[in-house]
Amino acid sequence: MLLEYIAIGVLLFLATAVAAIAIFLGELFGPKRKSDKKAQPYESGMLPIGPGTRRMPVRFYLIAVLFILFDIEIVFFLPWAVVFRQLGLFGLIEMIIFIGILLVGYIYAWKKGALEWE
Amino acid sequence: MIPLSWYLVLSALLFSIGLFGVLARRNAVAILLGIELMLNAVNINLASFWRYGNPAQMGGQVFAIVVFAVAAAEVAVGLALIISIYRRRKTVLAEEIDLMKW
Amino acid sequence: MTAYNSTMILAILPEILLLVLGVLVLLFDVVWKGEKRRALGWLTAGGTALISIVTLLIGRPGEPQSVFGGMLRFDWLGFAFKQIFLLGAIATALFMMDIEKLSRRGQAYALLLTATLGMSLMASAADLVMLYLAIETTSIPLYVLAGFLLDDDRSAEAGFKYLLFGAMTSAVLLYGFSLLYGFTGTTSLTSFVGSLPLALGLVFLIVVGLGFKISAVPFHFWAPDTYEGSPTPVAGFLSTASKAAGFAVLLRLFLTAFPQFVEQWAAVLAVLATVTMTVGNLLALAQKNIKRLLAYSSIAHAGYILIGVVAASKLGVASVIFYLIAYLLTNLAAFGIAAAFGRAAGSDEIASYAGLSRRSPGLAFAMLVAFLSLAGMPPFGGFIAKVLVFTAAVETGWVWLAVVGVVNSIIGLYYYLTVLKVVYLYRMEGENEEQYPIPLTRPYALALTTLSIAILVIGVLFAPWFDSASLAALNLF
Repeated sequence: MLLEYIAIGVLLFLATAVAAIAIFLGELFGPKRKSDKKAQPYESGMLPIGPGTRRMPVRFYLIAVLFILFDIEIVFFLPWAVVFRQLGLFGLIEMIIFIGILLVGYIYAWKKGALEWE
Repeated sequence: MIPLSWYLVLSALLFSIGLFGVLARRNAVAILLGIELMLNAVNINLASFWRYGNPAQMGGQVFAIVVFAVAAAEVAVGLALIISIYRRRKTVLAEEIDLMKW
Repeated sequence: MTAYNSTMILAILPEILLLVLGVLVLLFDVVWKGEKRRALGWLTAGGTALISIVTLLIGRPGEPQSVFGGMLRFDWLGFAFKQIFLLGAIATALFMMDIEKLSRRGQAYALLLTATLGMSLMASAADLVMLYLAIETTSIPLYVLAGFLLDDDRSAEAGFKYLLFGAMTSAVLLYGFSLLYGFTGTTSLTSFVGSLPLALGLVFLIVVGLGFKISAVPFHFWAPDTYEGSPTPVAGFLSTASKAAGFAVLLRLFLTAFPQFVEQWAAVLAVLATVTMTVGNLLALAQKNIKRLLAYSSIAHAGYILIGVVAASKLGVASVIFYLIAYLLTNLAAFGIAAAFGRAAGSDEIASYAGLSRRSPGLAFAMLVAFLSLAGMPPFGGFIAKVLVFTAAVETGWVWLAVVGVVNSIIGLYYYLTVLKVVYLYRMEGENEEQYPIPLTRPYALALTTLSIAILVIGVLFAPWFDSASLAALNLF
C-alpha cells in the first residue's frame, strides 16, 4: 500500500536535495562581503522604517474583512462554471441574481464610506 | 488506500483540539481560531465521507463549500465585534469582557 | 436540467419577497437623509405585513411536496412557522422605530429581514446543507443586531457573547450533521440507519446546537447577558422568533431523522425540559432587572414547549405550534413594554416600575395582559397553550413531566405577580406620578394594542388557531 507513495517520496527527496546542494555550493564558493545594510530585512528596495512588529491601523482589518467577504463568493462561481452548459438559461439567471445581491452589498458598503481610507 | 477511519480519527482530534481552545483560551481571537478548527474538522469529515461513500453524489463537497463560506462570514462578524470592543476597552481577553453577570 | 416550475417560486415566495424588501431598505437607506430615515421602520413593518398577506392569499401549500431537488419541503408546517416569524418581524420593526441609534439606520432593518429570511428557510429546510445554511443566515445577522449599539459597552458585550456561544454550538451541531451525512450517505433528511448508541451520540450533538437556539439549560448562559445588553426590541425578537425557529428545526429533524428511536430521544429531551423549566424559574425569582427576568422566564418557557416535543404525537406537535404562537404574541408585548418604558424612564430595573399604573394606565394594562398570559392565567393565550402542552404529555404517558410543568407554572406565577404588584400597588416615593407620564409613540401604541388584543383573542377563540396548528402538525406524521 505504501509503495504507491514511493514516487512522491522520491520527488520530495530529489527536490530537497537539489535545493540544498545549490545553497550549499553557493555558500561554499561565493564571495562574502558583509555590511549592516545587507543584514537589514528586505522591503521591496525601500529603506525599512521602524520595527516590523508594530501595530497596524485598524483600517487594514476593515479592508481585510470586506475582502474576505467578497472573495469567498468565488467559491460558488467555480462549481457553477463547471456545469454552466448543463444549467442553461436558468443557471445564468440564478447567477445574475446572486451577483446582483452582492452588488447591492458592495454599493452599500461603498456609499457608506467603508472603502474610504481616511 | 488509507482507511476511512484514519480520517475520522484525525477529524475527531482536530475537533477536540478546537473545542479545548474555545473552552480554555482567554484571548477572544484565539477562541475564534478554535471555532475555525472545529469547522475544519467538520470539513475533513465531509470530504472523506464523500470520497469513501458515493463520489458521484456531490452532496458532501457542496456541504463543505457552504461550510467554509459561512465560516468566513462568521469570522468577519466576530473580528469586527472584537475590534470594536478593543477600541473601547483596550482588551481582547474574554474574562475581562464581563460587565454583566448573573 | 429544467429544474424550474411555478411551485418552486411559490414555495419560497416569502423568502424572495423578504430579500427584495431587504434590498429596498438598504437602497433607501443610502438615498434618504436625516429624519426621513425613520420611515424605514414603516417601510419594513408595512412591507413585512404585505408579504404575510400575499403569502396567505397565494402562497398556500397543498399536499406536502419536496422542491429544489429535495432542499425544501413545501408544507403547512413550514407555512405556519413562516407566518409566526413574519409576525415577529413586524412587531420588532415597529418597536425598533423609536430606539435611538437603531431607528435611523437601515442596516438594522435589513439585518432583521435577513434573519427572518433565514428562519423561514429553517422552517422548511429538508436537507442538511440547507438547514445549516438557514441556521447561520439566521444567527449571523442576529449576532450583529445584538451588538448593534457599538457605543454601548453592554450591547457590544452582548453581541460578543452571543457570537462566541452561537459559533461554538453551531460547530458542534455541524459536526453532528457531518456524521449524520456519513452514516446515511445523503444530505437530505431521511431516516437514520444505524445502531442506538450512534443515534444517541448524534442526538446529543444536535441537541447542543439546537439547545442553544431555544436557550435550554445547560446551553442558556448567553441568554440573560445577551437579552440584558442588546437593544430591547432585538432581545424580544431573539426570545420569540429565533426560539420558534429552533423548535421548527427540532421537530422536523427529530421526527424525520430519528423516528425509530423516539423513546430514547424523548427521554433525553424530557430531562432537558425538566432542568430547563426548573432552573429558569428558580433563577428568575432573584432578578431585579426586567430584561433579565424576561430572559429567565423565556428559558423556563423553552422548557414548557419542550414538553410538547417530548410527547412527539400529533397533539404534541400541534401544542408546540400553538404554544409558540401564544408565546410569541405575549413575549413580544412584554419586551415591547420594557422597550417603551426603558426609553422613557431610562431604567430597566423592576423597582423603577413603581407607580406605572398611574404614569401610564394603558401601558400598565398591556403589562397586566402580557404577564398574566406568561404566567398561564385564563382567559389569555398562555393558559390554553399550557393546557394543550400538558394534555399532550399526559396523553402519551409522560404524566410526571406534566406534573413538573404544573409545579413550575406555580413557581412562575409568583415572580410574574411580583412585577405586577410593583406596577399596580407601589407608588413613586413622595412624587405625584401624573407629572411623569410615559409617552407612547405611534408605532408602540399600534404594536402593543394589536398584540394585547391578539393575546386575548387567541385565549378566548382558540379553536381556529388550534385547527391550523393541527393541520400543520399532520405533515410530520
